[in-house]
Amino acid sequence: MDRKLALGICFIFGVIMFAQYFSQHPMARAVNQAVLEYWQIIFAFTLLVGVASFMKSSFRKMRKPSDRPYQILGLLGLISMPVLALVWGIKAGTPFMWMFENVQAPMQATVFSLLAFFVASASFRGFRARSLQAAILLGAASIILLSRSSLGGIVSDYLPPVAEWIRNNPSMAARRAILIGIGLGSLTTSLRVILGIERTWLGGSQR
Amino acid sequence: MKLETRHWTFLGLFVVITIVMLLPIRLSVPVSEQTQKMYDFIESLPPNSILLISFDHEASALPEIRPVGLAIVRHAFAKGHRLIGLSLFAEGTVIGYRMMQNVAAEYGREYGKDYVYLGFKPQYIAAILSMGESIPRTFPEDYMGRPYEELELLRGVHNYDDVAAVISIADGSLTTHWMEYGAARYNLTVLAGVTAAMVTTYDPYIASGQMYTLVGGLRGAAEYESLIGREGGGSRGMLAQSTAHIYVLLLIVLGNVIYFLTRRKRGL
Amino acid sequence: MVGQFILAAAGEPGWFDIDKLPVFIISLVSIAIVLYTTFHRKSREKYQVREIAGLKAVEEAIGRATEMARPVLFTPGWGGDIQRPTTIASMNFLSHVAEKTALYDSRLVYPTHDPVIMTVAQEVIKESYARAGFPDRYRDDDVSYVTSSQFGYAAAVDGLISRQKPASIFLLGTFEAESLILAETGNSVGAIQIAGTDSTIQLSFFIVACDYTLIGEELFAASGYLSNDKSILASVRAQDILKVLIILYLIVAVVWSTIAAMNGGTTDGWWSF
Repeated sequence: MDRKLALGICFIFGVIMFAQYFSQHPMARAVNQAVLEYWQIIFAFTLLVGVASFMKSSFRKMRKPSDRPYQILGLLGLISMPVLALVWGIKAGTPFMWMFENVQAPMQATVFSLLAFFVASASFRGFRARSLQAAILLGAASIILLSRSSLGGIVSDYLPPVAEWIRNNPSMAARRAILIGIGLGSLTTSLRVILGIERTWLGGSQR
Repeated sequence: MKLETRHWTFLGLFVVITIVMLLPIRLSVPVSEQTQKMYDFIESLPPNSILLISFDHEASALPEIRPVGLAIVRHAFAKGHRLIGLSLFAEGTVIGYRMMQNVAAEYGREYGKDYVYLGFKPQYIAAILSMGESIPRTFPEDYMGRPYEELELLRGVHNYDDVAAVISIADGSLTTHWMEYGAARYNLTVLAGVTAAMVTTYDPYIASGQMYTLVGGLRGAAEYESLIGREGGGSRGMLAQSTAHIYVLLLIVLGNVIYFLTRRKRGL
Repeated sequence: MVGQFILAAAGEPGWFDIDKLPVFIISLVSIAIVLYTTFHRKSREKYQVREIAGLKAVEEAIGRATEMARPVLFTPGWGGDIQRPTTIASMNFLSHVAEKTALYDSRLVYPTHDPVIMTVAQEVIKESYARAGFPDRYRDDDVSYVTSSQFGYAAAVDGLISRQKPASIFLLGTFEAESLILAETGNSVGAIQIAGTDSTIQLSFFIVACDYTLIGEELFAASGYLSNDKSILASVRAQDILKVLIILYLIVAVVWSTIAAMNGGTTDGWWSF
């Protein structure tokens, strides 16, 4: 019964949202606006599920002594930021902003910057001319890399236009083909969800 | 701990970048067609045009994305346009607000009249669609909690029909949603400032006209800074970025040399 | 009557926006094709999906984890939410992987950035374990929400990979800049990695750093291939029919616009809507 109700709601709203796309009538616009507002409200509640899950799993993992310091730190972060925001606000110069600018932002930027190192190691390990196709890929990648650096124009005047050609022709053609494939995959999956054929999103299996 | 090959590649990159960052050399970069198009777009708008600036990024990408956003916001304020800021990522909210506030102060622009900051809205797809119907219903108050209709700039702004374009300053694929929902559904003109890694993702969209143009990564920022005649993080970072590109290229060459030597040794 | 339906009195917008007629027709054709391939029994029976290397390796990857007594890690990436078709395709894949890990008694770890995805994944895994006949092997703790922040999520999953050293890693869903960080960390612990995403830019990272990569739509076909579910295979067939129609449309439009341009006309026409 629970599943049938959810599938019914999904079908009705799927059809309504599909139909309203083709209408500029004020009533269709009003329905669209109302659905979107409810969507945002419902989303806020899902965050509570996340917080509850995080706390539950942190408390469980605390049983293992080696994990305990990390779990305590995680929970402290989870509790302290909202408390700081509620007590002192989030304007410039408040403790919340200090934590955001001096703890959270640098930590995130650090993880992001790992990308530079991983690009280096992946290029060293992965870009090998093992076959003709791999050699073509390697050549194209080298031309693009060189053209994006300041040496591009110095090495040869032809390099930047060749790099542009690679980006705008073979590379773009491949990406467009992949995008069309993904678009069609998304379209059929969406239709299957609306029609109730696809039920994995409800939890449990398709079968 | 025994150092593996990859650790040496990491160490090499760290040393090389640290050294070049200490050098007081500024590289000049030719302006790309895409960056020029962004500049021309902002230049060609009549003064007092209204632009939406969406800070769709987190704090992690700040070193790369901040120079892009800063150059665009500076140009828009310098040309006398009015800006409405917002963020579709919680973390981008404060970053965007601080940036707009600081640049507005540089150009003597007044809050409420020349610029407004709407703040953050969760569920980006719903937010983009909802603004297409009604911006005041999506953001009944600004970031500071002032009612929408009390702000002079916002009085004539009801939905996307009342703004010239949106410029999404993004570190991921959120700009795609501006195109898929804002442009496709409501004919909104979409421009972007994105990280370098995302540039090629948007090539097909620019070619098909779904996106007007973009400014890409630190290099794009450096190009834009040269167009507006104001040095910033983009120009300062160009030497480091170029060196990193060359370092990666050398690693690829070295990897292949080792690969072929080992293959010959094995008699393959 | 029809006029009023399209445009109401005094220039007011009517119920149907005539500018969207081409999109409406294309949508109806797509719906008809999906319905036909799904419900027409004969067309469902004959259809098969070609072999995809990454999918053949699934069993090997889980078997390896069992032999090494190490966990299997599955994560859907930071870029998606439950309404995204890629996430749904990833869930179908997860269902198959979970059934195998239950059978082989391997631990399945599933960290995610989205509370709703976590809830759905818990149900999917629980049901797969029950279907395999081992509901008691399911561990609620192993399916967890870590954080919604992109690089917080990357750091958390990286930490899991470094500490638990999974023998096999499945990176299937919508990935953004965290893709290479995760794939390289997985590579450093010697895990066999099967990846698949709809983010074109991240595909290049996965191809370099992972053992097998499902490119774009292969991820949608994967769940049908693995489960041999006729309804999923039917939608793969619908995609193929639509693809043929798109190719035909492109050929006609290119020829038409070329002829128009050669005769001094414009390259715009009925094909650009």
